[in-house]
Amino acid sequence: MAAILGVDVGGTFTDFLLWEDGRLALHKRPSTPADPAQGVLQGLTEVAWRPQAVVHGSTIATNALLERKGARTALITTRGFRDLLAIGRQTRPRLYDLAPRRPPPLVPDDLRVDVNERLDHSGQVLTPLDAGEVEALLDWLAEAGVESLAVCLLFSFLNPDHERAIAERAQDRGFYVSASCQILPEYREYERTSTTVINAYVAPVVARYLERLEEGLRSQGVARLAIMQSSGGSMSPRAAGQQAARTILSGPAGGVVGAFYLASQAACPQIITLDMGGTSTDVSLCPDRIPERTDTAVGDLPIATPAVDVVSVGAGGGSIARLDEGGALHVGPESAGADPGPACYGKALTPTVTDAHVVLGRVLPEYFLGGRLPLHVERAREALSTIAAPFDGDVLRAAASVIRVANANMERAIRLVSVERGHDPRLFTLVAFGGAGPLHACDLAEALRIPRVLVPPFPGILSAFGMVAAEPTRDFSRAVMRSIPSETGDEWRLVEDELEQAFRELAAHGRDEMAADGFDAQELSDRRFLDMRYLGQSYELTLPVDSLSPERFLPAFHTLHQERYSPCNPARATEVVNLRLKLVAPAQKPVLARLPDGGPDASEALVGRRTVWFGEETTAAIYERDKLRAGNRIEGPAIVVQMDSTTAIPPGWQAAVDAVGNLVVESRS
Amino acid sequence: MSTRCQPSDPAELAIFNALFAAVAEEMGLTLGRTAHSPNIKERRDYSCAVFDPHGRLVAQAAHIPVHLGAMPSAVEAALALAPFTPGDVVMLNDPYLGGTHLPDITMISPVFVSAGRRRRLAGFVASRAHHADVGGVAPGSMPLATDIYQEGVIIPPIKLYDRGRLNQAALDLLLRNVRTPDERRGDLEAQVAAHRLGEARLAEMVERYGLRPTWRQMAALQDYAERMTRAAIAAIPDGQYKFEDFLDDDGISDEPVPIRLRLTVQGDGLHCDFSDSAPQRPGSVNAVASVTKSAVYYLVRCLLDEQVPANEGCFRPVAFTLPEGSVVNARPPAAVSAGNVETSQRIVDVVLGALAQALPDLIPAASAGTMNNLAIGGYDPLRQRPFTYYETVGGGAGAGPQSAGLSSVHTHMTNTMNTPIEALEMAYPFRILEYGLRSGSGGHGRQRGGDGIVRRWQFLATGTLTIVSERRRLPPWGLAGGSPGQPGRNALERRDGQDIDLPSKCQLAVEEGDRLTLETPGGGGWGRA
Repeated sequence: MAAILGVDVGGTFTDFLLWEDGRLALHKRPSTPADPAQGVLQGLTEVAWRPQAVVHGSTIATNALLERKGARTALITTRGFRDLLAIGRQTRPRLYDLAPRRPPPLVPDDLRVDVNERLDHSGQVLTPLDAGEVEALLDWLAEAGVESLAVCLLFSFLNPDHERAIAERAQDRGFYVSASCQILPEYREYERTSTTVINAYVAPVVARYLERLEEGLRSQGVARLAIMQSSGGSMSPRAAGQQAARTILSGPAGGVVGAFYLASQAACPQIITLDMGGTSTDVSLCPDRIPERTDTAVGDLPIATPAVDVVSVGAGGGSIARLDEGGALHVGPESAGADPGPACYGKALTPTVTDAHVVLGRVLPEYFLGGRLPLHVERAREALSTIAAPFDGDVLRAAASVIRVANANMERAIRLVSVERGHDPRLFTLVAFGGAGPLHACDLAEALRIPRVLVPPFPGILSAFGMVAAEPTRDFSRAVMRSIPSETGDEWRLVEDELEQAFRELAAHGRDEMAADGFDAQELSDRRFLDMRYLGQSYELTLPVDSLSPERFLPAFHTLHQERYSPCNPARATEVVNLRLKLVAPAQKPVLARLPDGGPDASEALVGRRTVWFGEETTAAIYERDKLRAGNRIEGPAIVVQMDSTTAIPPGWQAAVDAVGNLVVESRS
Repeated sequence: MSTRCQPSDPAELAIFNALFAAVAEEMGLTLGRTAHSPNIKERRDYSCAVFDPHGRLVAQAAHIPVHLGAMPSAVEAALALAPFTPGDVVMLNDPYLGGTHLPDITMISPVFVSAGRRRRLAGFVASRAHHADVGGVAPGSMPLATDIYQEGVIIPPIKLYDRGRLNQAALDLLLRNVRTPDERRGDLEAQVAAHRLGEARLAEMVERYGLRPTWRQMAALQDYAERMTRAAIAAIPDGQYKFEDFLDDDGISDEPVPIRLRLTVQGDGLHCDFSDSAPQRPGSVNAVASVTKSAVYYLVRCLLDEQVPANEGCFRPVAFTLPEGSVVNARPPAAVSAGNVETSQRIVDVVLGALAQALPDLIPAASAGTMNNLAIGGYDPLRQRPFTYYETVGGGAGAGPQSAGLSSVHTHMTNTMNTPIEALEMAYPFRILEYGLRSGSGGHGRQRGGDGIVRRWQFLATGTLTIVSERRRLPPWGLAGGSPGQPGRNALERRDGQDIDLPSKCQLAVEEGDRLTLETPGGGGWGRA
């Protein structure tokens, strides 16, 4: 069997997870922010692993965007619309703001240019493109030192001829080119332009980085490199270099993929993920599949390519607690980060969520990060005493209140992805990971009546596991704008034929793309989706479809609409806005090895008892995760410690270790 | 400090603040996602809110500032229809009975929970959405009217739903009086859907936390917002600050319309005396009192932390003197459609001008000061249906002591999104020829004012065009020696090549091939260059 390595480069650490012959090996080392490839290659040398394939998630595109270190980029638009990028949607991000601000456009004023051309709303040419004008423009852009070019013309999603003509000429001249008809052939010009420009801005940076990395890996015997996408699939370095915008939100995707895959193996395919790190918590809901959305943004810049649907709240271990003048307690979104970090790190006196846990006895200093980072309990107490006045100076009550507010913020995020979208949380398992997720999971589950919590064996490194589990995938879309009458009839047959034809064309194009990356076109499987709405609405719902017959998919659409927004009206005409096609290549899936069976008695792993706050001070048993065996049972109140995370099991909850080492925690009530 | 205030649990304040806000936000999301008209679904010209059982605002989702202080008067008007039963939905748009201008249709519904054998009123949820057509003499329902009867159909507070049953006769009557009944029906249904959801969510909250604790938290959050507001006002130096500014005209005559404020800051309270403002005018620039209050509340809200809830408590420290029958407190039957969208912006300018004397290191110069409203209606021969289109265009923001003004943005009393051009052209018989920054229109200064926008339409069908705009003659002022922004400009090029300069407010017939250009004002500059 092939050995696959998942490598997740974060801001502070680079995580390595090797899967070989059913066994997992883990490694963690500091990242090398100046050139992340160095950290990856050095890490591989350190452990002397010999993987055949590496799946890689990096923040290279995200950082290039956030730090504004992308390529010198120009934008070509339809005449009269060169400022679309600057105008955006005409709104200010914060409503009540005497000095409203928006991020400046990625393309400066002088590099936003327009050409004389125009299509109408059906894709017909109103003003033809002038080849001479395009040449002159490219001359000028070359002279201006432009490296990368975004092309986004009005209605190109209906007729890409003009964009393609410009793109071909520009490619011949040596520009990196991102044409909107290739990046995102969908309607809404601002979001399409923004996505295309982001792609153009980061693509050269990503392509150069991947070239370096691929070369280095090849010299270490790695045959195949794959790149994590925002959508949760992986793609080739070639494709990632062209479609770099699709990697920008890959950070949270790895964890969701890992959680979903692991939970499916444990026969829990309906999950809510809770990924709590230092500054924020990411939540997603997977109803038998990994959910995606296409209306995301990074730093207020919209990106409309698919990304795993994750809701993020500013509540993490480092989130700062403060009292305002009106007497309300706020937790986050400001974070103490890794430096100075929570007060218990010994550098500052700002109270954080982690400090509250330390004071409440839920985080044990001697086990934190395997004891490598000494924690100062007294500093945590001192920090919390600064906000204890309204609690009659009671530091424990202050700490418990910090946890309550942080939990309320996370509960809101979970409600947003579940109740507010028509899902009943009682039918789901909460998968908790990240350093702090398992500390809060049972409290949240109790509040939302989620019956079960699953804590993976390696909660702090789940994202790298997700990369190993990610399927090689490409997403393709096409705007069709096809209205469907509500009444059955000949029109419905026509719809079916048209959609089938369009999907076939899309699939042919997609197979060519994936074949270029060495995949066997015959082995690819198709997943089809329709972006649908009632005729007249502006927002689409993405509906997975097996059949393109309206008889089959319309009822599913009505149901989905009912779930999400409550009103549903089968008598109304509908519209298919986009087709979406996901091509998936077959891949080996990591299967976790079984743990030796230890029976229900967990006393082998019991390392002591401590006073811990669970609504009141109680005596809790402390267990070491590494010593737990399959079948072990733990009664709350208990704390399970491990190198990269801590699990809190409140009174009334019981944990069981499953065959592969997941902690499955259930409420006894 | 309010005497009703009791020490509240700091964690519960934050938690319930977020819970009530979540109800309003989720309502807003549903409304936007299910509405039919671009004005609601794309531009998000709506607001949703939660009220306590006495009709006092508890939480409002941050969508449109002009709705902020104006929703409470709608709830107050609806209370006249008490007693309520479960399933009731009150609807109104009467500016003289809880509304602001006719296109803004407000719904209010009571939320009941069972307490033992009895049903108790837990509170209200409310929504307000700008409907692109509510009848009247011109499509878009923002006509150059001289009384309110010309502006559209007036809906006094009525029960659209009574015990959960639709009042079909009332709905039929309403829909028969508008030009685009299908779109109206879809938007009203979306509003009702948002209410049903909001009612369920608030009821769930009560079920989880109990009725009395929920009420207690509603009151605690109002007291909390009051404390925060008073603290912010106390930081303004005491004194009396005067300022005046003018609307270009009222659309009927050319005479500028003065708005004058004497602002008194004393301790932790504000008093806004608009006594010397113009008497109400024959045109539609008259604002009802709730619009004037909204504009003031908006600025007060700008002085507060983002986390402070926009609720009743923010209003308590602010007192008003609003002369009856003036442009800031109109009496029937004055026309009011522009009062909400344009006069509200000028009231903001007047308050800013007064506050700038007290807080010179904080307050920015005047922004574009207009929403650049445009409505077009007629019959679309291609799609064979009547159409009504309403859009507003952003301008430049005023520069502040610390930063340049933002360009091409909606300022102060509105924050609606534009309609994507591709969505527009697929739905309406016109084409956009240009949509760009109006370079150099921001005022000069140490900090530059933001630039306005140039937008050009070409009409593909005959129709009626209404423009309601401001700052076409009197530019947005600069501060501390900064120069004013460029005033805006409206122009029509007829298909035969004839160029016409249009006034700030006008209503005229357009034909296929005509081209309209709007150049919107830049923001004022700050400080000597």
